[in-house]
Amino acid sequence: MYELQAVHKRYGLSKVALRKIDLEVREREFLVIYGPAGAGKSTILNILAGITRPTSGEVLRDGVSILRVPPEKRDAAMAFENYALYSHISVGENLAFPLKARGMNRAEIEARVKRVSGILGIGHLLDRRPGFLSGGQRQRVALGRAIIRPADIYLLDEPVGHLDAKLRHRIRAELKALAADLSATVVFTTTSSREALALGDRVVVLNTGRIEQAGTPAEVYHRPANAFVASFVGDPPMSFITVLPRKGEGRVSFVTGDGMPVASLPAAALERLREEESSTLQVGFRSNEVRLAGPGDPGTLRGTVNVVENLGYVKIALVGIGADQVSVSVPAGTPLAVGETVAITFPRDAVHLFQNARAVSHAAPLAGA
Amino acid sequence: MASIRAENLVKRYGNVRAVHGIDFDIADGEFVAILGPSGCGKSSTMRMIAGLETISEGSIYFDGKRINDVRARDRNVAMSFESYALYPTITIYENIAFPLRSAGMENGEIDRRVRDIAEKMELVPLLGLKPHGLSSGQAQRVGLARALVRKPAVFLLDEPISHLDTRQRYRMRRFIKSLHQEFSYTMIYVTHDQEEALALADRVIVMSDGEIQQMDVPDEVYARPRNAFVAGFVGEPPINFLDCTVKDDASGWSIEIQGQKLALPQRLHETAQRIGSGGLAAIRPHFLSIGAQSPLTLQGRVFLTEELQDQNLIFVDVGEARLTLVAHPTIVPQRGEAVPVSIDPDQLLLFPAAELSKAEVPDL
Repeated sequence: MYELQAVHKRYGLSKVALRKIDLEVREREFLVIYGPAGAGKSTILNILAGITRPTSGEVLRDGVSILRVPPEKRDAAMAFENYALYSHISVGENLAFPLKARGMNRAEIEARVKRVSGILGIGHLLDRRPGFLSGGQRQRVALGRAIIRPADIYLLDEPVGHLDAKLRHRIRAELKALAADLSATVVFTTTSSREALALGDRVVVLNTGRIEQAGTPAEVYHRPANAFVASFVGDPPMSFITVLPRKGEGRVSFVTGDGMPVASLPAAALERLREEESSTLQVGFRSNEVRLAGPGDPGTLRGTVNVVENLGYVKIALVGIGADQVSVSVPAGTPLAVGETVAITFPRDAVHLFQNARAVSHAAPLAGA
Repeated sequence: MASIRAENLVKRYGNVRAVHGIDFDIADGEFVAILGPSGCGKSSTMRMIAGLETISEGSIYFDGKRINDVRARDRNVAMSFESYALYPTITIYENIAFPLRSAGMENGEIDRRVRDIAEKMELVPLLGLKPHGLSSGQAQRVGLARALVRKPAVFLLDEPISHLDTRQRYRMRRFIKSLHQEFSYTMIYVTHDQEEALALADRVIVMSDGEIQQMDVPDEVYARPRNAFVAGFVGEPPINFLDCTVKDDASGWSIEIQGQKLALPQRLHETAQRIGSGGLAAIRPHFLSIGAQSPLTLQGRVFLTEELQDQNLIFVDVGEARLTLVAHPTIVPQRGEAVPVSIDPDQLLLFPAAELSKAEVPDL
């Protein structure tokens, strides 16, 4: 197990990449670090690899500090987003390099090169030099060179970001299966929500050098700790309506600024709701927890269709409710025009509630919807 | 604003033909996406419209007027390129104001327009800064704002949002879409990202190898792809292709996939007759399900399940082929489990086997 304890990283005088983060990478887990550009994802990998030293804080391997262990003695296999391949030797030799360096025998090297190049679809490129490859091909070679050898930890920095959709899907599945088969410890960074959820045993949501939440994909998706995580995990992102509380008999209802009822929750579910002056309450929905209401549906919210996005298998309508916008998944083929007034509906007690961006209660995960 | 027409448009670089004589019509105020892999000719097409490339053969018309010989700066075309080159020594405000100042606009109007666009693009807090410290997402928004502030006749966008994270992509996409709805620019959006093309455009031009493969509304491009290339390039997760042998025997038309025989739906008999024995069956992951409820069922073995929370992606190996299917989040089969996979008969597509090589998208 690797541990970062209160790791702080500052570049120069003012640029803070990591703000005293605590993070553990468990034995044999596939850990995804998910965050926007500039969140500090690569810095974490570089610190684990020993390429970058934290400004302060501790890095442990099985409880022992490795701050003074140089990168070449850490046994971390890395794939960078910007490739870093040897340009004077062929793709095959690039792949074989880390194995030769470990004195592996020739037959074993050949078998591994064959397996990894097959998985990554670069078997036909083995005789070429990296300079003659496209960006996506080079990225796969870099990934191959990292995963080809046994390592204590694999550090993969957006390793499929430059690939087209078809390859990305295929390689993502292969990578996950390979990691499981080898019981490898993997840390993988991405800016794609789907990739994070698909790959991670656990997902660390990182934002401006802070960990917003670390948990299983189900936890960060269904029980986001705050509005940032809620809006960052999930594709399409969660949408929010700002509401005011109305206390009633054993329940609290929530209404929009102009009095439209949005949700109602049992008071018992609101233990975490604090008595605060000027607090902002938001109800959050995922686009598939909301639907367009038909005639006779009780308790609907009316709004205006602002944008319709066609994704082929589904349409995402952005419906304006007061000053807020709610994403609604609509079956493909549903006629829907911009400017149209629609009613939306959702289970009244199955919403996410946030107070000053902190999660207060959550919807139960969808069952059978 | 302007309508655009291209007639037999050709782009040659030396002996290499990048665009092979294409025709299209874009209506005034329409939003069209040109979608294709790198090297398909989409950027050359856009650059000819912008006037950044000479037109080798054929013509481009704006509102019926041939513009082949009109200089780029006189076409009133705005562009936002992937390489959002901002001027490093001046503020964001001045970067956005730059095209207006060059056009000799008076200061009051410049200020009004810059602040207006900055507000819409959430750039107000950045106006006094220089480009140096911006994140790439912010720099992209500034690049877009600079292009839009001129109120151009035609607005060309070249992959301005493909690098952003999931949340920012949605935000930018909706922003671009609402801009189009608000101002009704004639917009052409060049991208290799099918989701962006479908989500944004009124119509999509799918290109490969310098030719237009299909030009249609998003629903049609998705549901009725004209060939295997379009089928393979449009759709997320990507469509499943399966080599098959087409047969017409005593039991009627059928296809054989990895040694498993399936009766061919009536609707595809004519296609089957036309393409002969070598076929390529195609089915989208959303139209496959675990179970034997369809008359078209294949036997397979689960390779892996990805739990995306709102849905599961299940990879199933059928012989040598690997299928992807989208399932409800409660369906989580075991790795290695033998499962039947049902194909929705109404959604099965059939192409000639020869189209497979074209459908294999070259590496980016």
